[in-house]
Amino acid sequence: MTVAGRASGRAGSRRAAVPQTGLLVGGLVLLAVVAVLSMGIGAHPVPPGEVVRALLDYQGTDDHVIVRDVRGPRSLLAVAVGAALAVSGALIQTLARNPLAEPGILGVTAGAGFTITVGSALGWAAGQAGQLGFAVLGSVLAALLVAAVGRRSPLRLVLTGVALTAVLSGVALGLRLMLPDVFDTYRFWSVGSLAAREQAPLALPLAAIVVCLIGALLLSKALNALALGETVAHTLGAGVGRVRAAALVLITVLCAAATAVAGPILFVGLIVPHLVRKPAAGSVPWLIVYTMVLGPVLLLIADIGSRVLLPTGEVPVGIVTAFLGGPMLIWAVRRYGAGSL
Amino acid sequence: MSIRRTSGLVGAVSLALILAGCGSSSDGGSDAASEKDKTRVFAADNGKITIPADPKRVVATGYAVPALIEADAPLVGISSWKRGEPMMSKEDLAEYKKLTKVAGEQAAETNYEAIAEAEPDLIVIGVPAPVLGDIDVKRLESIAPVVAIGPSLPSAWRDLSRKQADAAGALDKFDEGQKAYEAKAAELATKYKDVLPQLKLGHVGAYGEVAKGTFQREFGGSWGTNIAEDLGAKYYGKVKKAGTGSSAVSEYPSIEELPDAFGEADVLTYSVNADGSVSEAVQYVLDSKLWKNLPAVKAGKTFPLRYTEAATYGQAMNTLDAIDMSLAPLLKS
Repeated sequence: MTVAGRASGRAGSRRAAVPQTGLLVGGLVLLAVVAVLSMGIGAHPVPPGEVVRALLDYQGTDDHVIVRDVRGPRSLLAVAVGAALAVSGALIQTLARNPLAEPGILGVTAGAGFTITVGSALGWAAGQAGQLGFAVLGSVLAALLVAAVGRRSPLRLVLTGVALTAVLSGVALGLRLMLPDVFDTYRFWSVGSLAAREQAPLALPLAAIVVCLIGALLLSKALNALALGETVAHTLGAGVGRVRAAALVLITVLCAAATAVAGPILFVGLIVPHLVRKPAAGSVPWLIVYTMVLGPVLLLIADIGSRVLLPTGEVPVGIVTAFLGGPMLIWAVRRYGAGSL
Repeated sequence: MSIRRTSGLVGAVSLALILAGCGSSSDGGSDAASEKDKTRVFAADNGKITIPADPKRVVATGYAVPALIEADAPLVGISSWKRGEPMMSKEDLAEYKKLTKVAGEQAAETNYEAIAEAEPDLIVIGVPAPVLGDIDVKRLESIAPVVAIGPSLPSAWRDLSRKQADAAGALDKFDEGQKAYEAKAAELATKYKDVLPQLKLGHVGAYGEVAKGTFQREFGGSWGTNIAEDLGAKYYGKVKKAGTGSSAVSEYPSIEELPDAFGEADVLTYSVNADGSVSEAVQYVLDSKLWKNLPAVKAGKTFPLRYTEAATYGQAMNTLDAIDMSLAPLLKS
């Protein structure tokens, strides 16, 4: 490239960066608005002004306790889980170069469901803390196994994940059908929900998510090179093996932590990367940043919907995302196409 | 039943049972036979049923199990009833363990062959009406007359257990238990008459769902409240949308609605297990900051209640003792 060409490229990227930065700021504002709404809407409505007062000038009233101690942690969880699933979705789609890849393809969901089933059958997975522990264990073990077997090629990775998911799901289903009490414990976890997590020990999974999101940002430039193909990545000096291994670790921890604390929430990891692919304009760093903002927005909106859709009580957020996810994915594919990876 | 209307294996089993029944009646003398043939018509959930006037071999399931064990009914088979074990007296528990189990905890786990082997002359089914659909009543009717007497409103256990004992011809012992309960309840009502009727009470039941973030609020006439009401307790409020059965007297609001539900309560009671331990659903409420913010909680007026699932007079005697023990501090204040 000539000096003039490079200068013209820099000017072009600067022009592109301005609307991309603007979109990011807009996304962050939207996230803040939706988060405030999320803390105000529910069985006991709290006006937005009171939500802000509860956050900035806590008085200990019932409204303030609801905002700070019930809905605040729930909204924080939605932000963390939404970001974790969306970013892990973007990473797995980039790594597998497959637009239909989603975090569950690594067997994480099936692994968590399997260990919760076994733990319940043994009587060790009682209570939220017990379920959380078993879900983390199952998610991590499943993802490690898939990553170990399929790390050499994206196709092998996907196939291993699908195979392990089938085996673990089948065995777990058999156990649940034989043991009705175990089925009862499992069914609440299996739909995916953000409700009633305010008393659960979430500090460690949330910290893991934050660390991995930072890791994803740091890795995004290297993934940009990898997205061009292994040969080009080698030419550009990227350590393909190291980048792929690091991405797999990030995907595993993000998805495992999110699934452990909220259960399997489908579609967020699949559709959010598609929704932001066009504004990201082929840039993996922007793709990661946008998914990090839009994932939480989508999950917060779905969580608000879960509280207001039925007059009789809450619908688990996993069901709302499944209802929203299908049509949104079809719309995104028709509007933008699957996009090249 | 017409044999022509039955088919396959059911028909063969029915025929064999009918023949077996004919054979055994012909063994006794004519007096015994006429005694055995005495019948009466009994009004049950499944209609007006002709049953033996003095049944000698009774099979009981569901809520009828503890009621008929207490009433010394001539039981030859029962369903499993684990939930009632902690509330049974030593003698009743020993009898419960000794009796042949002809069904599991769920109505769908009914063992029809085991019931036929027990050769009952009456089958008393004590399950709620919606659950009755899980049982092949026609198949049971081919074995012996079936009366379904299941729970409706929680506080209706008094009438239902009497009806079950009546069907099984065991009212004498039942009436003794009822009198003992009523005497003790009247004594305790007198003891608490200057305190309880003046207070507004609220109750947290044991069946909230932590995974959904809900708690169970029980109003007057519910499992957790109906026996305390015999002492003069007044549980305020009513369900927003009354359903049938227990949902007519209890509901499952979000934990966020704790202040709306119990903000006016002077005293709060909550269900605990028979051994005094707290279930996960109740612990979720007790650990909530919204609970700790309630006026009654700040005033220290919260009381655990054991044996809140009592469905017989014998079990309810335990509940009366437990309520008395728990609410005793109210008399000092």
